[in-house]
Amino acid sequence: MSQLAELQQAFCDALRSPEMPTDALLDAIVDDGLNLQRFNVYRNNFIVLNGDALADMYPVIKRLVGDEAFRVLATAYVRSHPPQARTLLLYGDQFPAFLASIPELVELPYLADVARIEFAWTEAYHAQEHPVLTEDQVSSITADAFGQCQLLPHPTLHCIGSDYPIYSIWQANQSCETDELISLDQGESYVIVLRPEIDVEVSTVSQGAFHFLKQLQSGAIIEAAYEVAIEQDSTFDLGVFLTQHLLDGTFFQINS
Amino acid sequence: MNDAIPSLRSASALVPSRAGAGLKAVHYQDIIDNQPDIGWFEIHPENYMGRGGAPLRYLERIRSDYPISMHSVGTSLGSHQPLDTKHLDDLKYLVDRFQPGLISEHLSWSHGYEWFTHDLIPLVYTQASLDLVVDHIQQVQDRLQRQILIENPSSYLQFKQSDIPEQHFLVEAAKRSGAGLLLDVNNVYVSCSNHQWDIEEYLAPIPAELVGEIHLAGHAVQALGNEQVLLIDDHGSPVCTAVWELYRNCIDRIGTVPTLIERDSNIPDFATLYNEVQYAEYYLRQSKEVNRVSTC
Ligand SMILES: [Fe+2]
Repeated sequence: MSQLAELQQAFCDALRSPEMPTDALLDAIVDDGLNLQRFNVYRNNFIVLNGDALADMYPVIKRLVGDEAFRVLATAYVRSHPPQARTLLLYGDQFPAFLASIPELVELPYLADVARIEFAWTEAYHAQEHPVLTEDQVSSITADAFGQCQLLPHPTLHCIGSDYPIYSIWQANQSCETDELISLDQGESYVIVLRPEIDVEVSTVSQGAFHFLKQLQSGAIIEAAYEVAIEQDSTFDLGVFLTQHLLDGTFFQINS
Repeated sequence: MNDAIPSLRSASALVPSRAGAGLKAVHYQDIIDNQPDIGWFEIHPENYMGRGGAPLRYLERIRSDYPISMHSVGTSLGSHQPLDTKHLDDLKYLVDRFQPGLISEHLSWSHGYEWFTHDLIPLVYTQASLDLVVDHIQQVQDRLQRQILIENPSSYLQFKQSDIPEQHFLVEAAKRSGAGLLLDVNNVYVSCSNHQWDIEEYLAPIPAELVGEIHLAGHAVQALGNEQVLLIDDHGSPVCTAVWELYRNCIDRIGTVPTLIERDSNIPDFATLYNEVQYAEYYLRQSKEVNRVSTC
């Protein structure tokens, strides 16, 4: 390994670590008695710059745990998951799973699922442009053939299911003024995140609709997707669902 | 975004010798609605490397009204590792699509390992690292088919191994690669203070004709023990008086080049940032006037 490679790798190791930098690294820095403090500016920048990117992506999580706790979580995340890309646009993709793995957060079991909404929001925000399904495309399909078609959800669609009322929690924390109390007894929720045009939309759907969409996403034909949905949720009404969503941007294409 | 306001102009690519501002997402709508009289905007291309969505649409709209420059933070010119060809492709795509008048990158590295620091780490200034940086700059220029500008960094530490003064390293790197320089006046001030370098000595070897752009920004002051301080280049406050003074000296010496007010944290509303841009605009006009009179 070249000397430069060695130095850069040692520097990176020390940036990421909470421990004292090695003597070898400190020896490489011009020493005016302040070389440790000088190095620590970089260590601090590394944690703060990347932690700020995480805070931008997860404003609701930050509100839910508070600024102090978020800073502690962000520091731990930046150290354990240093950025893998040259842009920070999607930095924090592992944060929901990271939150789920923290023992101190077991009292907030909904946190990871709320974080999934926030990540999906950002991913949809930066996703490639795709057209939405139009009436013309639908009218080319005969009623008999409809059930055998693949109905493809819009590529920006994310489906997030949770045992907790994550939609209400996410919604209530969109502004800073709220002090609304949300009972966890509200139970499960089924959230979809979508960006048909320029704005990201977050909404809830019924359990049946949720499973229907997930089946369609994995390429199932309409009939097969419906069968799974009705099995999960006997109240699912396909006609009502399609009247509302077939042409509202939820879908991308229909293939016979 | 407000699609109702059609673009009125189709701005030239050329970045004029005026003051510009860093383009911030929180200001997009304000700029589109109010069409401020400002010379140009600067972006970090890495913020537009998503595959679609609002940022690219806003940029398209704003680019139709103003020239832009692209100030990259992700190529890691000083890295011991090879440059990332995928990143250069992404950069080339944005350059072709948005036609920036100027393209710049930092003399630093951020990719020392498998992962990225997203902070600009200083180089060891030796002949070996100079060869490496020259090669990397040439690769970027070859891929973009354009000259780029290299920015003098702000730094908080120096490596013992360095045996070439930073300013000579910069000038050599630019001359050998055919690049220009982006002179960040705040970085000069910050680094000279942090390392007790002499500002005059730093600036003296920099040839005026190499400087294609100037940056101005604010810095923070961090107290250390023994009454010493480190200046932290956080782009989080207005440009300080001493840096304005240094800026005026610089433009009187090297000429009036496009000047950017950088602001990356504690971002104020656009009107406040615009006021600061007007200071630079005023000094540029004054300097032009002085030079015109003296050459008559
Ligand atoms: Fe700069």
